[in-house]
Amino acid sequence: MKDTGDKLLIDVGSTYFKICAGDSIEQYMRDFNREILEDLMAKAGQLIARYQPADIRVCSSANGGLSALIIGVTRTFSLKYATNIAFNAGINIIDTILYQDIGNCSLPSDLVDVVIIVGGVNAHGGLFSRSLYRYMEQLQYSNVVYVGTERDAAAIQTNIPDVVVLPNIIDERLHIVEEHLKVYLTNLYQQDIEGKEDIKRLYEITANQIYSTPYIVNRALPVIDATFSVANPFILLDIGGATTDIHYSKDLVEDNIVTENGYDRLVFKRLGVYKSRQSLILAAQGNEFTYELLTHLKVTENIFKEQGERATKVLMQLAVFLVLCKMSHYRQSYINLKLLQINSIVLTGGITKVLTVAEIDVIIAFFYSKILTSDHRPVAVLDSDYAIWTLGARGSY
Amino acid sequence: MKVVTGVVGNDIHVVANRLIDLALRARGYEVFNLGVNTHLQEFFDAVVETGAQVLMISSLNGEAEGWGREVRLLRSQYTNLDDLIMMIGGNLVVGSGNGEDIAARYRNYGFDIACHQVDLNTGLDMLAALLRERGIQ
Ligand code: B12
Repeated sequence: MKDTGDKLLIDVGSTYFKICAGDSIEQYMRDFNREILEDLMAKAGQLIARYQPADIRVCSSANGGLSALIIGVTRTFSLKYATNIAFNAGINIIDTILYQDIGNCSLPSDLVDVVIIVGGVNAHGGLFSRSLYRYMEQLQYSNVVYVGTERDAAAIQTNIPDVVVLPNIIDERLHIVEEHLKVYLTNLYQQDIEGKEDIKRLYEITANQIYSTPYIVNRALPVIDATFSVANPFILLDIGGATTDIHYSKDLVEDNIVTENGYDRLVFKRLGVYKSRQSLILAAQGNEFTYELLTHLKVTENIFKEQGERATKVLMQLAVFLVLCKMSHYRQSYINLKLLQINSIVLTGGITKVLTVAEIDVIIAFFYSKILTSDHRPVAVLDSDYAIWTLGARGSY
Repeated sequence: MKVVTGVVGNDIHVVANRLIDLALRARGYEVFNLGVNTHLQEFFDAVVETGAQVLMISSLNGEAEGWGREVRLLRSQYTNLDDLIMMIGGNLVVGSGNGEDIAARYRNYGFDIACHQVDLNTGLDMLAALLRERGIQ
């Protein structure tokens, strides 16, 4: 790895701190009984003291980020486009509501950070009516943004207090227009990170803006092949303690979305091996191939009840398998990637400390032969020294 | 009058689609062209997003029948498509067949007009006649 230009890079994750100084990366398990800054200083205070605030860069994926609820008039245009933009801005989507069904939708129990309302090209109007306003009256939310047809903007503004109106994300050719909503959501996310007392205090050690970790990772993607022996096209799986992020290049998507960004991101919430262990197990139990895979790995389902290294390994392996399933045609999801065209699968995050390339290859082989009935075998590449994160974090802000 | 058009399924025959786009515009329609390779759900969703009154589907490569059978079920899942006029044209069967029989079958699938190997202008005249008949244009 190249030097970091004598910068100190710090990543605050949901489970670990990562600290990169020069060529070395240290990782520390977080202590959740302590405030973030206090915990960080206890673990790496001496190192941090050696750097000027201008040379310290911090990013954070802790605290889950912002939650969004999207209301749109169709699945393949408005909901899909808004979902795509929100994912790319690093937002967690708690639910999507098809407007025609809004009368039968239950309300989320938690406060929603941002509600996105979308639908219609500008040539159409009168899409929204009382059922929307009635739902919004009952919903607990902090922000609401409208990005649908401009013809309905006035009615929306009259009926939903404090709504932010931005240009339509669907243009007259039914293509996606990302920029305005993406900037709005990214800023909201940024304000949220900065507003969290815990994170805010980190400005005591850095003079640079604190970014979200997915943003940093996404920024490294176009230059990844300069650092790794990665064969294009590739996907990047960031399997962490609480969530799993997938970054992929656009040419791997069979889709009606035509965007300008080269790389997209998809998040599977509650698919992590520490904080989301239980929901990972639930997801595994819901997959009909899990038991065959467990047998293949020479363990039984008792492994779900075990703790320890062996159980963590198997859970990590299951996480890789489930993520691949979710992206394939076998499971219809928000997007399907052309998995048969992928030449490398790059893995980063906590998983690289637990699994070896051979242990991942077993899963890749099982998935491609069982689910895709193919002999294709993408090569697994482990980013075990967090070079991708370093690459993104080192880039000029 | 707004029209959503495109070529259904995994069909990449694009020439007729381009001609349809031009011919519709020349006749004064507002066109939303989804192009080739369009899934059935995308057609209906595009109608909802645009408020189109007419959905005009092409199929050239022989897939039409398979999609045709799914139309009623899918359409019934939408609450706001009752007044939509649906039309399909191109090569509606694999190989050849009697145009009248084929059209009757597609009306059964839920299409108002079905044009098996009917020239485009004839088809558009049929649409204009139907719109007049329904007092829409
Ligand atoms: C060019 C062509 C191709 C090109 C397409 C290039 C491209 N990107 O457009 C290529 C080589 C890629 C191709 C591939 C295939 N093709 Co091809 N192709 C043709 C060909 C020779 C001409 C089509 C064309 O452009 N015609 C000119 C346009 C203007 O005419 P049209 O498409 O017939 O449309 C007119 C009318 O049908 C009408 N119309 C069309 N849509 C609608 C809609 C409405 C509402 C109305 C009113 C009217 C209307 O308006 C148009 C003008 O009047 C036809 C044979 C032929 N001579 O028609 C075969 C043909 C369409 N192909 C055929 C087949 C089978 C295939 C392949 C499956 C071959 C294969 N085994 O790989 C693939 C399928 C690929 C895919 N995924 O779709 C068959 C379809 C058979 C069927 N339906 O029963 C045909 C008829 C050849 C044949 N006789 O067997 N093909």
